[in-house]
Amino acid sequence: MMADGLVIDPGPALLAGVLDGPGLAAHRRRAGELRRVTGEDVARAAEAAGLRGRGGAAFPFARKLRTVLDQPGRRPVVVVNLSEGEPLSAKDHALALVAPHLVLDGALSVARAIGARRTHVVLPGDRPAVRLSVLDALEQRDDTGSVRCHVASPRFVAGQEQAVLELVSGRENLPVTAWRPAAVSGVGGRPTLLSNAETWAQLGFLLQHGLDAYRRSGTVDEPGTTLLTVSAPGRPRHVREAEHGRAMGDVVPELGHPAGADLVLLGGFHGSWVPRDELARTPVSVEGLRSRGHALGAGVVQLLGVEECPVRRTTEIVRTLAGESAGRCGPCRLGLPALWAALEDLGAGRSDAAEVERLATLVTGRGACAHPDGTSRLVRSLLSVTPEEVAAHARGVCTLTDAMCPAP
Amino acid sequence: MTDQRLRVDWPSCTARGVCHELLPEMIDLDDWGYPVTSRDPVPPELVGFARTAVRLCPQLALRLVEVSGPGPRR
Repeated sequence: MMADGLVIDPGPALLAGVLDGPGLAAHRRRAGELRRVTGEDVARAAEAAGLRGRGGAAFPFARKLRTVLDQPGRRPVVVVNLSEGEPLSAKDHALALVAPHLVLDGALSVARAIGARRTHVVLPGDRPAVRLSVLDALEQRDDTGSVRCHVASPRFVAGQEQAVLELVSGRENLPVTAWRPAAVSGVGGRPTLLSNAETWAQLGFLLQHGLDAYRRSGTVDEPGTTLLTVSAPGRPRHVREAEHGRAMGDVVPELGHPAGADLVLLGGFHGSWVPRDELARTPVSVEGLRSRGHALGAGVVQLLGVEECPVRRTTEIVRTLAGESAGRCGPCRLGLPALWAALEDLGAGRSDAAEVERLATLVTGRGACAHPDGTSRLVRSLLSVTPEEVAAHARGVCTLTDAMCPAP
Repeated sequence: MTDQRLRVDWPSCTARGVCHELLPEMIDLDDWGYPVTSRDPVPPELVGFARTAVRLCPQLALRLVEVSGPGPRR
């Protein structure tokens, strides 16, 4: 179906109800009434399902939950992060439009299970349809007494965990240094269980439909599914639910189009460049991708047109990311523009890869959030995946047929 | 076994460079004068100097944190 400029394909689990509409009645017919579970039930189910966070870091959910459960004293807080700062990603966006109650089921049943004091729902500042759909869904329910909504700033780093915790705490929606994990000390010093919308929807499916239903998709080692946002030149973005273990080329047939460029952007602006043929053969799997040195990140697959040059595209993305720095941390505020300038110089044949590599390495790990790290990852993947093309640019030549490249 | 490592509160750091003056063995400066701290644990013979660097940072942006196992570069 088409919604808000996205094509949302029906899927085996999370996106099974796409054609039934987002209403509560249709959702309850599919998923049943909200199950009563304990924190231990949730931790065991998440462990058995091998559920990992879907915000990009793929952290095991059960470990985060157990850390929250292990904190003595104060009642915890749940945060549903729908802000989706990654511009190429639209999976949380799609869930908010077609399955908001699955997201809320996951968050609210876990909140009840762990005795959470509050559930904070953080909505994106730049995706109005998401706000409306989630507010509508909240109004339809009678279990939202503990819910408070917030709207994130329309910027890349606003969706980062620490920035979201700041927003929820009533401060500016920008990253700050985390001395302790949110699961230990988050909102108001309380143990805080923060996950993005897809993670809560995965939990909603797991808790409402049960482990057996969850395991019906995917492999023994990695049960379940993952959401991808696929974009290709001249086409609307597609959000697809991919079963773990299937070849990426089966789930994303666009990878087989002969007219595409040889490199694909995987994971988003903070992701990495991957050869198209190699990606098509790789299974949809955190471990499968990791063993080949890649990461699914936010689940973005962006294909380039055959006339688009990855060096130029990387330069454009780094320019965007440099502009998206919150400007609070010196190495990011000054380092990302320098990295952009070095890429521009490289593209114009005025510099070589060594300076780009030096700056990319220099900014890594030196900020309150992972913005410099993600930017660096993208740049370094370009240098390692296509050294010939990078070297050609350093000589002032683009071997592709990109009319815009090298930059004049 | 916990190690002591240096960590910078980046939003607070304003590149005054005092930490580098006091602990050059573990803190370098980048192109813009911001600290590049060693990822390694602070060796016992330098812990006293590290504490001094932490105390004298004009922005209170440097900390010694206890971590078990290898830590990220922060």
